[in-house]
Amino acid sequence: MSDVLRVLDRGIETLILVYFLLLNSFYFLFSILSLAGILRYRRLVTFVRFGELFRMPIVKPISVIVPAFNEEQGIIDSVRSLLSLRYPVFEVVVVNDGSTDQTLARLIEAFDLKLWKAVYRKSLPSKTIRGIYRSPIQPKLIVVDKVNGRGKADAMNAGLNISRYPLFCAVDADSILENDALLKVVRPFLEDPERTIGAGGIIRLSNGCHVHEGQVTGVGIPRNWIARFQILEYLRAFLGGRLGMAMMRSTLIVSGAFGIFRKDIAMACGGYRAASITEDIDLVIRMQKLMHDQKRPYRIQFIPDPICWTEAPESLRVLARQRSRWHRGLIQTLIKYRGMLFNPRYGVAGLFAMPFYALFEMTGPFIECLGYVLFTSHVLLGQVNYPFAVVFFFVAVFYGTFVSLLSILLEELSEHRYPRLRDILILTASGVAENLFYRQYLGVVRAWSLIDHLRGRNEWGSMEKRGFAKAGQKP
Amino acid sequence: MLSIVVLYSFVYLLLLSVSLFLFIFGRRLLIESRERKDRRVYGDMERDVLEVLTARDPQAAAVDFARRHASRPRILKEVLVAYREALTGRSLEPLKVIFERTIRSRCLRELRSPFLATRLQNVRLFIDFSRPEEAVHLVKLLHDKPVVRLAALNALAGIASRETLAHIFDLFEKDPEPNLYAYSNIFFSLGPRIEPFIRTTLDKELPPAKAGLLVEMAGRLLLRGLYLDVVAFARHSDKELRIRAARTLGRLLVPESVRTLADLAADPSWEVQAQALRSLGHLQDWRSVPILVKGLFSPQWHVRYNAGYGLAAFGLVGILQLQEVSRQKEDRFAADMAAMVLDTVVVTGGEP
Repeated sequence: MSDVLRVLDRGIETLILVYFLLLNSFYFLFSILSLAGILRYRRLVTFVRFGELFRMPIVKPISVIVPAFNEEQGIIDSVRSLLSLRYPVFEVVVVNDGSTDQTLARLIEAFDLKLWKAVYRKSLPSKTIRGIYRSPIQPKLIVVDKVNGRGKADAMNAGLNISRYPLFCAVDADSILENDALLKVVRPFLEDPERTIGAGGIIRLSNGCHVHEGQVTGVGIPRNWIARFQILEYLRAFLGGRLGMAMMRSTLIVSGAFGIFRKDIAMACGGYRAASITEDIDLVIRMQKLMHDQKRPYRIQFIPDPICWTEAPESLRVLARQRSRWHRGLIQTLIKYRGMLFNPRYGVAGLFAMPFYALFEMTGPFIECLGYVLFTSHVLLGQVNYPFAVVFFFVAVFYGTFVSLLSILLEELSEHRYPRLRDILILTASGVAENLFYRQYLGVVRAWSLIDHLRGRNEWGSMEKRGFAKAGQKP
Repeated sequence: MLSIVVLYSFVYLLLLSVSLFLFIFGRRLLIESRERKDRRVYGDMERDVLEVLTARDPQAAAVDFARRHASRPRILKEVLVAYREALTGRSLEPLKVIFERTIRSRCLRELRSPFLATRLQNVRLFIDFSRPEEAVHLVKLLHDKPVVRLAALNALAGIASRETLAHIFDLFEKDPEPNLYAYSNIFFSLGPRIEPFIRTTLDKELPPAKAGLLVEMAGRLLLRGLYLDVVAFARHSDKELRIRAARTLGRLLVPESVRTLADLAADPSWEVQAQALRSLGHLQDWRSVPILVKGLFSPQWHVRYNAGYGLAAFGLVGILQLQEVSRQKEDRFAADMAAMVLDTVVVTGGEP
């Protein structure tokens, strides 16, 4: 019996080691691809005058759709920032998703909104719309007030029904787009209008930044360590992961906080799925599925420099809620579209992107937690080879730090947004420190989300917002 | 064995991480020092460019500037591109002189580079600073990769002569996968001088997408001389072409087109009907008011929408018609649409 247990134990150990090696090899590969991608992008956009696009007579108009639920703190700043975007033809559709706070009242007051008798086609299902407002002072602004749909998808569908333009940009109400973000992110749609169905830009954290009149005017590092860790996570995810995956033509996620899509394709696949709690990944997968099913060539691009700033949670409780939702959404989506997994009919998406997310992103936390359980049991049984364990721990820490440093290098090569040398030092320190508790904590949270998923917990969970003025501190 | 591998991994990763950190740190220090130096040089050049632009003899001042700053092509390019943004017409001439005397020959050489990005960067400089004699080099790039091809087209558009226009239209005809968006912007930038080329090209057998773009251009550039050519497309079997013809007629505002548009408003395709009604609204011919009112009762949302805004474009007469439709009880959809258009007129001044 003890021999069987020993073999099993050795087997699990090997599995964890192989998993660790494979996962990190992929992350390293993505970082290298991202490096190549950033250098190439930088060279390709040299002497491109994005302002020129602004003067061009024929550009694709964009509907910016902003779902808002209890966003009274930052909604006015966000909408002002969106209305001041540099783009020739666009509209901003704010969907107040049954907020219980003063979101709608603040919008009505700030933009002198008047009730508008809109006649629209309800092409996508959504909860009842209570009223549609327009502003005499901001003709580009449309505000939709609707009954709460228990999720962003329902609000997005309502916005899509009201929107009029062939491209739509999904933006979170707690986000701020840089002034020229639309000009930059729309480029793939102009360069390859037939095939491009979606594009995304980088999401960065506004914590620690100075926000003035709806624009980030000073970039800095927050004092809160949880926010610092998340800055690194976002750099790794966007500059390392998504750009690398886009280079392999296997983009599976365009962030719901800032992504631009072709409306006809999104409508053809039924818009956002209300039952999904990560509607962004769900929509992108369905769009890809549709294109593959119809045998139409397509591409989804990731552009490394249009930037969207968003506020990150600064408490472990709220962060855990957010990450749990993300992970439950990933599990839900991968289970729903399991038919695409390893299916050559769906090209790179089916053969690489979805298996990668299923094997590494979805199951990663469980294998990680299995490692912790195994280690604890070995400690209790007195079977730990301590020198080996300590060295292995440091290997893991330095590997994590190395990947974080790579993402800092990618940031330096792409946008170079953190102005002071001190910022680099703080980010590097965060890269070391996050390995000591933060990563393990998130691993457990994400693993626990499977139990939540199995228990049928499917709600969004609330995010406590502080508003940009409070989140931002003068760097 | 495993312990040795892990130990080596640890040492390797430690060294790698420390080296990467030092590289990032060192690179940042180096860049900051270079940026400080570049800013100083840029400032000097900027001051000198302003002197050139305000000199009594800008050409001579430009020659003098080129002599002094030719040794710093990287920053010089940045200064030239930045000032190109702000200047137009004759005031660009001194910049072109500076370009010719400093970086032109290098750019021409790099147009033949095996690296796509290098060719692209250099051809983009020619968009701003090209002279007719460069056309021969740019035409060679018309068979390059699409992104370079379009940049070369843009550069050629900046030095449009009869020959370069012929090259542009020739490429458009032969392009197997044309980026219609890019072509439309290039054609638009060329302005009314392309009218004869559009006419000649429209006479040829073209795929509907290409013909549609040219028809659209006739409207955007207000080329009324192409009115009859456009009317011919109103009877085309391709629905997209009929839509574009209807849109163009709404832009050209030729009074005789009311009949053609009235016919298109009765087209079997609702998309064509919708566009024809919108164009009839632009024409503001009183004879089309009943057609627009009828459009408000269409079963198609788009047709009702365009008919509503078409009527709103008529001003008071249209508003009165909309009021009447909004009050009737027989067709709720028509009444709702009329009410929405009236409401838009009140709230946003008629902007849909």
